Amino acid sequence: MRVNGQLAETGPSEERLLDFLRERLGLTGAKEGCGMGECGACTVLMEGEAVCSCLVLVGQVGDASIVTVEGLGAPELLHPFQQAVVDAHATQCGFCTPGVVVSVAGLLMKDPHPEPDAVLQAIEGNLCRCTGYAPIFQAVEAAGAAPRL
Amino acid sequence: MTQLVVPSTVAELGQVIGSGRVIAGGTDLLVQMRAGREEERLIDITNLADGPSPVVHRDGVVEVSAVASISSVIEALAGRLPAIAAAARVFGSRQIRNRATIGGNLANASPAADMVPPLVAAGAEAVVQGRVGSRTVLVSELSTGPGTTVLEPEEWISLLRVPLPHGEEGFLKLGGRAAMAISIVSLAWRWRTDTDGNLHDVRLAFGAVAPTVIRVTEAEAAIEGQRPTPDVVNKAVSAIRRSVRPIDDIRASAWYRRQVAADLFRYAVDA
Repeated sequence: MRVNGQLAETGPSEERLLDFLRERLGLTGAKEGCGMGECGACTVLMEGEAVCSCLVLVGQVGDASIVTVEGLGAPELLHPFQQAVVDAHATQCGFCTPGVVVSVAGLLMKDPHPEPDAVLQAIEGNLCRCTGYAPIFQAVEAAGAAPRL
Repeated sequence: MTQLVVPSTVAELGQVIGSGRVIAGGTDLLVQMRAGREEERLIDITNLADGPSPVVHRDGVVEVSAVASISSVIEALAGRLPAIAAAARVFGSRQIRNRATIGGNLANASPAADMVPPLVAAGAEAVVQGRVGSRTVLVSELSTGPGTTVLEPEEWISLLRVPLPHGEEGFLKLGGRAAMAISIVSLAWRWRTDTDGNLHDVRLAFGAVAPTVIRVTEAEAAIEGQRPTPDVVNKAVSAIRRSVRPIDDIRASAWYRRQVAADLFRYAVDA
């Protein structure tokens, strides 16, 4: 499989993609928030589509390209949405944030100026216990989404 | 340690089918396994190079691949099968929709499975493949109870055949929140309205109020050929309340579900 543009040495096919990314590749951005696909903290892009890496087995990835938060931006070069998160204080404990960034970046790649409904659909699978979501919406709007009324 | 096999052709699948549990998106199966369900071997059927096409429009029927992801059918079917598209839109979350499949939703056989009511209301069929040959099973007859289906260990669902509606169709779901919620009650309907406002060929399929999705034929009969006047609607509502068999569970009480089933129908008629 390709991870963030690079060919990755494959792991045991029954291993969860989440564990493969974190433990074998050292990409610890994706978090295990629930292990059940409900919280979205483990979100990565698979062929451009947001998926919960806790519910994908390595053997199911095949040749698909995987993008993690580490592939979207770096401290020295933030993804525009990451910058917007910083500016809007849309992160507190930070645990949900990589998943939110991946989900939103995935949306913006397909639709740089999404309507509010599209934004909701894109992040409805990312739970945040800290921010109350409003700053996250502000960050998405700053990054190009149409404003909510 | 569970073993995963990923056949790349139907022939390869035919060689291993029956030796393990079929998995597609795995968005419920893997969760069940994490909670203790033991499977020695998983057979992933989403990688078949010679599987059916995702969506094919034939005469009056849409054929949908069983391993089409829920998110893929939102766009593909929005025009012709709006009830299925509506159910797909409120299914799980985006991450779940990108992995979960229609066939998987059917095979998992949750009483609250969201793709089932619109398929039952449509009179859809599932094409079930075996090692040699295939058979057709009405979606309404696929599940025999929570988590159980008529599928043999050596069978898998390969595609769904869905008749196009001749009138309107829709889907409504009540959940604990706007997304990522298991249905408390769901309703899919189909009917055709004539120029006098009478409803014909009425189909009402309710989810999460019985061990399987059920059609309330008594309510269908109460409205068939009539205009949905308050009297007629009330008759149908009584039939619905009598026919559903909900349970108390962590999401809602049976009493509440019975009430909501009736309310969803009223919404549907008013829509």
